[in-house]
Amino acid sequence: MMEFIESKTWIEWLLTIAKLALAFIPVLFILLLIPMERRGAGFIQDRQGPNRSYIKIPFFGKIRAFGWIQNCCDGLKLFFKELYEPKNVHKVLFSLAPAIPFGLTLLTPCVLPYFASLNFTFGDTVVHIPAANVDTDIGILLMFGLSSLSVFGTVLSGWASKSKFPLLGALRATATSISYEVCLGLSMMGMVLLAGTFNVEGIVSWQENHVWGIFVQPVAFFCFLLSAIAETGRPPFDVSEGDPELVAGYHLEYGAMQFGMFYMGEYGHVGINSILMATLFLGGYSIPFMTTADVQANFGGVLAALFGICAFLALAFLHMVYRWLREFNKGKASNKDEINKEYLLYKIIAWVAVPVFIALAIASGLFLHPEATMVNGAPVYGIGTALGTAAVQFLVLMVKTVFFCWVWIWVRWTLPRFRYDQIMHLGWKILLNIALLNLVVTAVIAKLVMGGN
Amino acid sequence: MVRVVKHKEMNLIERLYIFEAFRGLYTTIKHFLRGFFRYETLPTTGYPEVKPYIPRDYRAKHRMMVRPDGSPRCVACFMCASACPAHCIFIEAAQSADGRIEKKASRFEIDHSVCIFCGLCVEACPVDALRMDTCETSFVHPKRKDFIVNLTDLTSWNPKDYPDDPQSQVAPGGTQNKQALEVWGEVKC
Repeated sequence: MMEFIESKTWIEWLLTIAKLALAFIPVLFILLLIPMERRGAGFIQDRQGPNRSYIKIPFFGKIRAFGWIQNCCDGLKLFFKELYEPKNVHKVLFSLAPAIPFGLTLLTPCVLPYFASLNFTFGDTVVHIPAANVDTDIGILLMFGLSSLSVFGTVLSGWASKSKFPLLGALRATATSISYEVCLGLSMMGMVLLAGTFNVEGIVSWQENHVWGIFVQPVAFFCFLLSAIAETGRPPFDVSEGDPELVAGYHLEYGAMQFGMFYMGEYGHVGINSILMATLFLGGYSIPFMTTADVQANFGGVLAALFGICAFLALAFLHMVYRWLREFNKGKASNKDEINKEYLLYKIIAWVAVPVFIALAIASGLFLHPEATMVNGAPVYGIGTALGTAAVQFLVLMVKTVFFCWVWIWVRWTLPRFRYDQIMHLGWKILLNIALLNLVVTAVIAKLVMGGN
Repeated sequence: MVRVVKHKEMNLIERLYIFEAFRGLYTTIKHFLRGFFRYETLPTTGYPEVKPYIPRDYRAKHRMMVRPDGSPRCVACFMCASACPAHCIFIEAAQSADGRIEKKASRFEIDHSVCIFCGLCVEACPVDALRMDTCETSFVHPKRKDFIVNLTDLTSWNPKDYPDDPQSQVAPGGTQNKQALEVWGEVKC
């Protein structure tokens, strides 16, 4: 036991345990996805979307945070509702089923790297900490194995409800996600083949050193996108909850937070698949045209650019706020004082943020020159630079992921629902063939161009 | 005669669906960007704070017109109550104090929880006493009996809210009340 503990220094243990917090990131995406979905849907349909819920704070009054408070309201409502189950349900399975998809959102991302492996000098030792919580060579296979388990939640809930519609919905959902998982796996194999490893960090570092996956595997990317949308059971592939036929699908009999768990599971799944897509095809955590070593060597410049972008975004936000307020104050609304007070808070925050960001950008650009020690011919930096690089890479990955999350919502509010036979036709007769063909072509070209192995 | 609508045959690109799907995505992103960057141009309004425009001839809550001396114009002829398909008007007649006029309404009540806002009472009124041009469209009350409006409620409107209507300006407080009162004269018993 003591030997196991002493096999690592205290900083290694600390970071390894702190890394476990990364498991909660897909769950946190729910906080982003709910307002994004609801207000995005609003804007797409020329509405305003939910923007009424507020928290009251002294002086500034009702703070609505552009509809983000809606999250709390949705969540609170679901939490405080009574857990209800119909008469003849299978009690154990009925209460177990919602936990499965939600629990898996915590478990599935264990192999995903949110930043490059940490390599830094600590005292006179060189510490290496892998980025993923589970750093294995079967990485992506493990992930697919875990994520396909969420089908159990679907099928168990349908079965345990002892009702026709949930059962039909569950069968449809199961069939859809199982058939599209085949395409999902096959379309990803092209990238695995090129990178030559199942390790997700290996795939990202291949992209970092060569080119982003979307440019070498555009067809695979497209197949992956479609099957990922279908696999999560989101529109336009949501036949499992096609309301004209099946009322609400497999979670028909659920209410309160049990229903909420299904939704959180679904959103978490969307988050995970978005991260995966960004990781496999959009270079993951890598900054365009820069490898991790480049970032660390020019860490000050990178930070300066980052803070510069933040300052620009804050200015753009201010511009939007001022323009909207000008138009708003021309109108005849009866709550002008309230709104102006609320926006005063946003203006103050943004006006404080702009100079802070600019100062940080200038400071880090001028004064941040991390010193490297050469270990085995490669430069290794201190812990500050390593963690800073990780933070920057994490942000970059999040930006890419949010873009894909938006694609999910965008597609949902654009395309009408497919018929069930159309989904199966698309999955088995079109996408699967394209993915297979793509794999074969990739393999042949890879053999010819890259030679051996 | 049966009208036959012939749809255009879809060409190959349209039948492939994928390109049409991208066109659809383009359309929705346009709408999204307009909502995101030009929020103020959205056609919807925040309702309770920003009231929508309601034209004068919209059949809204009723009001009772008044004579220059402030008494209701109603002569208790029961025309409106007879015309009402929902039977929501209740009138009790009494002798008028004015010798020129036979009757007046001692009670005139409209139950807005029953009213169907058809406007037939307004059409039926021979003396232009009843109108539906208040532009008040929201009827929210905690109790059912609050929906019943009586004569006091019906006559308690302000002439300043109807600046373009000469008949309303005749009422006490209106711009033409003075002349109208001279023409109308004193109440003769």
